[in-house]
Amino acid sequence: MPRWKLFYRVMMRPLFREPVRLGLMVLAVGLGVAVVLAIELAGNAAAGSFHSSMESLAGDNDLEVVAWGGVPEALMGTLATLPYPLRISPRMEDFAVDTRTRETVPLIGLDLIAEGSRYASETDASNVNSKYKATLEKSVRDLENPESVWISASLGKRTGERISLLINDRVLDCVVRGVFPSTSGNEHAILMDIAGAQRALNRFGRVDRILIKLPANSTVEDWQKKLSSVLPPGVEVRLEGTGTEENRKMLAAFRWNLRLLSYIALVVGAFLIYSTISVSVVRRRSEIGIVRALGAERRDVLAAFLGEAACLGLAGALMGLPLGRIMAGGAVKLMAATVESLYVSSRPGAIALTPYSLALALLIGVGMAVVSALSPAREAMQVSPVDAMAQGRREYVARAHKGRDLAIAAVLAGLAALAAQMPAFRGKPFFGYLAAVLLIAAAAYAMPALVNFISRTAAGVLGKLFGVEAMLASRSLAASLRRTSVLVGALATAVAMMVSVGIMVGSFRQTVVSWMNHQLPADLYLRPAGNAASDRHPTISMELVETIAKLPGVAAVDRLRAYEISYDGMPATLASADLRVLRAYRESDFFSGRPTGEVLAELRGKNNIIVSEPFTYKHKVNTGDTITLSLGEARASFQIVDIYYDYASERGYILMDRDVLLKYLPDETPTNLAVFLVPDAKVAEVRKAIQEVAAGHRILIFSDRDLRTEAVRIFDRTFAITYALEAVAVVVGVMGIAGALIALVIDRRRELGLLRFLGASSGQIRKMILVEAGLLGLLANLAGFVLGYFLSLILVFVINKQSFGWTIRFHWPVAVLLGALTVVYAATLVSGLYPAWVAVRLNPLEVIHEE
Amino acid sequence: MAILSLQNVSKEYTSDRQSVRALDGVTLDVAGGEFVALVGRSGCGKSTLLHLAGVMDFPTSGTVGIEGQPTSDLSDAQQTLLRREKIGFVFQSFQLLHTLTVQENVELPLQLAGKAGARELAIERLQWVELDGLGARYPLQLSGGQMQRVAIARALAHSPRILLADEPTGNLDTTTGGMILELLLRLTREQKTATIVATHSLEATSVCDTLVKLRDGRVEEVTRR
Repeated sequence: MPRWKLFYRVMMRPLFREPVRLGLMVLAVGLGVAVVLAIELAGNAAAGSFHSSMESLAGDNDLEVVAWGGVPEALMGTLATLPYPLRISPRMEDFAVDTRTRETVPLIGLDLIAEGSRYASETDASNVNSKYKATLEKSVRDLENPESVWISASLGKRTGERISLLINDRVLDCVVRGVFPSTSGNEHAILMDIAGAQRALNRFGRVDRILIKLPANSTVEDWQKKLSSVLPPGVEVRLEGTGTEENRKMLAAFRWNLRLLSYIALVVGAFLIYSTISVSVVRRRSEIGIVRALGAERRDVLAAFLGEAACLGLAGALMGLPLGRIMAGGAVKLMAATVESLYVSSRPGAIALTPYSLALALLIGVGMAVVSALSPAREAMQVSPVDAMAQGRREYVARAHKGRDLAIAAVLAGLAALAAQMPAFRGKPFFGYLAAVLLIAAAAYAMPALVNFISRTAAGVLGKLFGVEAMLASRSLAASLRRTSVLVGALATAVAMMVSVGIMVGSFRQTVVSWMNHQLPADLYLRPAGNAASDRHPTISMELVETIAKLPGVAAVDRLRAYEISYDGMPATLASADLRVLRAYRESDFFSGRPTGEVLAELRGKNNIIVSEPFTYKHKVNTGDTITLSLGEARASFQIVDIYYDYASERGYILMDRDVLLKYLPDETPTNLAVFLVPDAKVAEVRKAIQEVAAGHRILIFSDRDLRTEAVRIFDRTFAITYALEAVAVVVGVMGIAGALIALVIDRRRELGLLRFLGASSGQIRKMILVEAGLLGLLANLAGFVLGYFLSLILVFVINKQSFGWTIRFHWPVAVLLGALTVVYAATLVSGLYPAWVAVRLNPLEVIHEE
Repeated sequence: MAILSLQNVSKEYTSDRQSVRALDGVTLDVAGGEFVALVGRSGCGKSTLLHLAGVMDFPTSGTVGIEGQPTSDLSDAQQTLLRREKIGFVFQSFQLLHTLTVQENVELPLQLAGKAGARELAIERLQWVELDGLGARYPLQLSGGQMQRVAIARALAHSPRILLADEPTGNLDTTTGGMILELLLRLTREQKTATIVATHSLEATSVCDTLVKLRDGRVEEVTRR
């Protein structure tokens, strides 16, 4: 008989006799695989599309010339007159909001005449992009119209139709002169002639990037040096697409943490596979003895149990694939919103199930199952035929090792404490993750002692409180200590992650809320309409600012200006504030603890800056250090005079005096306004007055309360995905409890049947199983809560700090934790309903007769 | 007066669409203090008769009455109540719960029935079976004979009117088996229980008050001594 047939008969067929349990196990593994896959797919889709329209439309260039605040147009001439065969393409790059759909769309200003000629000259060499070429050639004829735009097909407009665009704080009514195919299927983009774009953006004399195509067979590094030597010091020549790479790099920590969080459901699944195979080994000890006596080798036994696990893993992976694809659809929306709020403008790309993702699902499903089954399979391999017939020995072994396991747990916990003290490695909190893993492992080793202690201690108390059924239930759990410990370990891990992430998020939320109370001293805040994003800084017209400043009731207007820059290979935000206003009104929170007025006085008129906490962490700088920034054409050095707490964005902030920034980047238009009112002014009246004077502008006005509410909304949206991931892990854990209870019922059917003989009613049997479920839930909640508390310390003070650089003040989110633990406990009780029903339906005559 | 009365009782099982008659027209009365030995080959219906007498199953036809009350009319809850009050079981493989101590095993039927004084009654029952002092041990720490005595103490914990034993000596050596039978007989006399023992033991047939021979589900012979 072929070996696979034998394997099927001996190992697989018994699994199908318990279809509900088998289904729960496969579903549990499938969910674990699905979550990991969903986060991977959604992460790729959400993070893979930064400015992708801009990059796709950049063509095949090699280098880009950039300067923060814009590259002077005059440099175009410098480059064009060089005696080199270079192709030079200037670009304006910003965002516009389609007022109909309210979507933010990349706005690209191109030298359309040059681009049209280029495509015309390349048409013989390649027929690719022929549609795009035809569009551009035709578009040249419409260039005289300043409101002409060419849009991607995904925007759903046709040539000749009108599109209303919000650019900065003004609405521009444009005519669609042409439609070009969308890149990647759904990428939006709006093209304008570069002169039109400068006009629309109110940025004259500067372009955002100059793209350069080098001659064939040239060394990029040599050209970088050659071109840098003819450009001013503040202007950088770098590889084309560096910005996109920097964004990806910036997002790495976010994706890493999310990816690791997604693995929690898988870890819980691993516990369940371990439990399932352990149960399988215990149940089949006598069979193992028989087949060993009949000539099977140890490795045959090992292979059989690993094969059983692999089949469960494979089935889970196959189920996880479509499930993961569906979950990715929801995850990508949440992730894209977070990316946009905290990092960079992006539009989620298409979710692509690639051969890599298929391989990933299979690898994690089967790999996790086989690795989890290794330990019990090795135990099965070592069973001697004589030992296999000995009743009760297996549990004795579990009991006998309690002391040893507890010692191992103590060592692991000690190592976790040590790992938590280690610094980040290559900018990633590897030792923080290690500490978390060690702590989970310590908990797993401590679990038998905990379960044994609590269930035995509880037996008497529960018996008195809830009757003999409760006493029997707790005794039964203590008796099957190994199985109970693994189950409690699985659910406790899920609960612990829920508790730790709950505490971390709750602490973070509380920190942000109290920080905002200090940071929002003004009465009203204004910004251009459109979706907010960390890297978009649309401006407010100066004439509006001046009008608002003169309104009755307005005491002062703080003009804030922000620029998207790159520092030391990472995106950052450079901001300036009107320090006269700040000094009079703002309360701030500095590392030095010095009064705000004293710190800000050091910035006025000098090349001094303050930086946000994440900036210092990312770039390893501190108070007193000097950093050099490229601003316009110049490179200037600035001294860090203090560091301030900031939770608005993960990208680092550099703040300087407005007058100082204007020396380098003489663009007066602000990106935000903070309006301070005179003491007796009514906020509603001033707000109305601002709305009236801003009638021709699209601006949003917030009170400090609105801003806080909005910030909390964004915060909650940001962390929604973490709650979703925790929920899946808990669902996997609860399904494991249900599956294991079914197994317990089946394994204890003799005992349950006997109880009926001894006078137990069906209600008492039901109660017993439900009490077992309740006890499992209680143990898991208790262990999970304690473990979760320690994990939260690692998350708050190690992983978060090393990943993002934020100082979070510890806070107990009591209501959230109580609510979550209650839901988990209720779910565990509910999970006992089906096994209880199975137990009640057992025929006592049959089960006693089997003996 | 008979405590247990079976009148023309038949029991059919359907398995794989085939009907199997396990008992066929059995009539038997057992009085308090009477020790009945039920003998016959494997599959003759001994266990089925015990299950019907123990209200674990219903007859297909005929009547099973306990102290004059027919069992067929009882609901599941009433059956449970009847078992709790009037019936004790002893099994071949002892069927003790290994997670409970000896004393806790004996207390179990009383606790399931929610009766007070379980502890004291259990201690007394263990004295009846001469195991006083071993209450704190776990079943796996006892010999086979001791385990069966614990099972008997448990069966008698709630002072049942009917004691049913299915091959109580089947897992024991001859000497220990003999001691168990003597114990069952003594307790039957002392407690005035109607005792039915399904057995292959020759000794049981020699000490019983009534010997019932079953063959293919029918009563072949009843010998009263």
